[in-house]
Amino acid sequence: MTTPPQPQETPGFVEKLRQEPIDGLAFKNLAFAALTWLRTNHEMVNALNVFPVPDGDTGTNMVLTMQSAYNEIKNSPERSIEKIANALAQGALMGARGNSGVILSQLWRGVARALDGKDVLDGETFAKAFAVARDTAYKGVVRPVEGTILTVAKDIASATEKALAITQDPYEILEIAVEEASASVERTPELLDVLKDAGVVDSGGKGFFFLLDGMLRFSKGMPLDTAVASVKSLSALNFDNAMETVEEGQDYEVVVDFRPHEPLILEQFYSDLEKMGTSIQIGEGEGMYRMHIHVPTEKRYEPIDYTMSIGTITKVHIENLLAQMEDIEKSSKAQPIKLTPVEPGQIAVITVAPGPGIANVFASLGAAAIVEGGQTMNPSTQEILQTFENLPTDRIIILPNNKNIFMAAKAASEVTVKQAAVIPSRTVPQGLSALLRLIPNGDFDAVVADMESALGDVETGEITIATRTVEIDGVNVNEGEIIVLHNGKLILSTDNLTTACLAFLEKAAADDFELITLFYGADIQKAEVNQIADQIRETYADLEVEIQNGGQPHYQFIISIE
Amino acid sequence: MRIGIVTDSTADIPPELVKQHHIRVVPAIIVMDGESFTDGEDISRQEFYERLPYLRTPATTATPSMGVFQEIYTKLFQEGAKAILSLHVASQLSGIFNTAKIAAQSFGERVHVIDSTSLSMGIGFQVLAAAKAAAQELSAEKILDHLHSFQKRIRVLAMLDTLEYIRRSGRVSWATARIGALLRVKLFVEVSEGKVLNMGQARTRRKAIEHFKTMIHKLGPLEELAIMHTNAEADAHQLLADLALNLPSPIHVLNATPVIGTHVGPNGLGIAAVLK
Repeated sequence: MTTPPQPQETPGFVEKLRQEPIDGLAFKNLAFAALTWLRTNHEMVNALNVFPVPDGDTGTNMVLTMQSAYNEIKNSPERSIEKIANALAQGALMGARGNSGVILSQLWRGVARALDGKDVLDGETFAKAFAVARDTAYKGVVRPVEGTILTVAKDIASATEKALAITQDPYEILEIAVEEASASVERTPELLDVLKDAGVVDSGGKGFFFLLDGMLRFSKGMPLDTAVASVKSLSALNFDNAMETVEEGQDYEVVVDFRPHEPLILEQFYSDLEKMGTSIQIGEGEGMYRMHIHVPTEKRYEPIDYTMSIGTITKVHIENLLAQMEDIEKSSKAQPIKLTPVEPGQIAVITVAPGPGIANVFASLGAAAIVEGGQTMNPSTQEILQTFENLPTDRIIILPNNKNIFMAAKAASEVTVKQAAVIPSRTVPQGLSALLRLIPNGDFDAVVADMESALGDVETGEITIATRTVEIDGVNVNEGEIIVLHNGKLILSTDNLTTACLAFLEKAAADDFELITLFYGADIQKAEVNQIADQIRETYADLEVEIQNGGQPHYQFIISIE
Repeated sequence: MRIGIVTDSTADIPPELVKQHHIRVVPAIIVMDGESFTDGEDISRQEFYERLPYLRTPATTATPSMGVFQEIYTKLFQEGAKAILSLHVASQLSGIFNTAKIAAQSFGERVHVIDSTSLSMGIGFQVLAAAKAAAQELSAEKILDHLHSFQKRIRVLAMLDTLEYIRRSGRVSWATARIGALLRVKLFVEVSEGKVLNMGQARTRRKAIEHFKTMIHKLGPLEELAIMHTNAEADAHQLLADLALNLPSPIHVLNATPVIGTHVGPNGLGIAAVLK
């Protein structure tokens, strides 16, 4: 990862920057600054996700989307801002992950449109860019919701347009944009009840703020690699994404629980740790802290020695990251999935699967290609596109099986020249129900309509562990508890898995159906699954109960009732 | 001019109609755990379906020998037939058509072997149409012409209660064994022009039967219908009642030949229809 020259290091940097017009090269640097600052703060954005489920992290999705956007321009010698902006937008589109990523890519598309025919980004064009970005983003969403990134984009467009009366300087327009972004983000809880109930601001809006703020900080010579120092509550610490962001040279993951002798000075602690390694996270518990860091092999004991010098260590965990990566690679190569070969001209169904077992089930029902959900559970536009571009057919149907993947799937269907339709499946059971309707040699529109109608045939239950304490839809959730979702709606929080499953079945009126299928995840043992299944069979003696190893992360159970 | 009508046991023609129209039926062979049985003679349908789930190795089917065909053709000519129409199960699904064709060679142009491109009563309706035409003293050429267009009006649909048997049978290339499959999947197929087409799947029997009814209704106005089942008599009669169709000729409900049962498994439902 190349870094532009650290602003503070070059005297007169800021003055020189402000004098030069913003051409393609300058725009590129601004884009990199935006990416860097968002990456630095993406954990905070992730922590704003209201829904207490462990997938679809907005911060991670937006970083990955922005990274893909930047990758498109990073080696480009282009000076034309029109070309750079368009390449950036294209990269964002292809790398878009999650709904937030897709909307972000549409904002960039709007910016690129406003820069058509332009050589430089002046104040007037900047304000226009925000306006076109707003319009493009709103158009791309079927049901725009206020109190989200859309509102922030709207407010910025409005403020920057007004600002043109006072200034034409692009950096001053940027400053006004950032101020408005910050204020708009703070107002989002007033527009969206679920944010107010959870006591947070909108994550997508905050992510967008960080992107613009990063550009501003760069233009002011401020550092971009130290996070707005923040401490999370202990159970919000999420190390799962460690695998996504292993950087070169960082071989070991060190986690230390400790009680400091004296009140911890956070900034100092952070900056001391930064001298040793990366991916630093600090969590606060009852009178203790947990520190997490990635370090190179030769420094693997430094964090421990250092922490020992300022407090009492209660627990230490060291893990060899490279060995972990190798294990993951080995296990993913283990069982290739047997897919149905597509005959030329047949309808091919592409489906997203959150776990290997579920992938196998989709394959057995005739799916032509599987997109693996991945740890973040959100594949990009490009990842979806790749699965079907080379199939010997022009008739493609995509099953996203997750409401946060729908937009990336739609983007893929619009980018391809093939005839592609996206069925709005929001869960794995819905996807299965739709796939059952596939007639490979059938009429495309008829099959699509049939699949859409099949979505309502099945009831979905999802059982997972809450990632935050929140009140949603009248249900009080404490993080760490087991939560139950019925067709995507949170219905219950409890401490017992069996209770959770039975409660779902009751709420979904399982008695009216014939077949219960339990897809169990990677985080639960078969023995426990069997016990729960037996309980279910006892309670619902008239129904059949089928158990499948879904292998999905995060969700102990995905349950379908048919 | 008398024309002899020959078919094989996969046509599932009700015995009383076979007698009534003087049709000759060549029986197929069923092999269960090493023992071979002649379809319709050595083993009753009841017995076959009772044994089917408990077999150590999957049941298979085999073509009757060429000699059996030649015997039947010879006998018909001895009885005064001037020509023979021999209609058989789709060549893509069975070797019976091929064997008949080879057997017919020694009789020159007097034996016409016809690929029904169908199965069960899909063949049966063609055979009955040919028999009725033959009874009206139509020439072989005229009957063949008529059959050619008649074939286009025939539809055969089926609902399989399980994928287990069709996967093992290997006759349908797209329905091969897969790991990690769901246990309870029911399959809809259409037999068309000798091919078995995938018409979707379902997970519960109730939904599957509902969907099957919809598929039948979608065929449009019917002239004739037969309902077949593989040891699912009650469901077949229920289907008949639910369809509530008023057709000029009686709708027969038949337990399909074990030849089909071997490849499809028990508790299946099927229909053969002649469109208006």
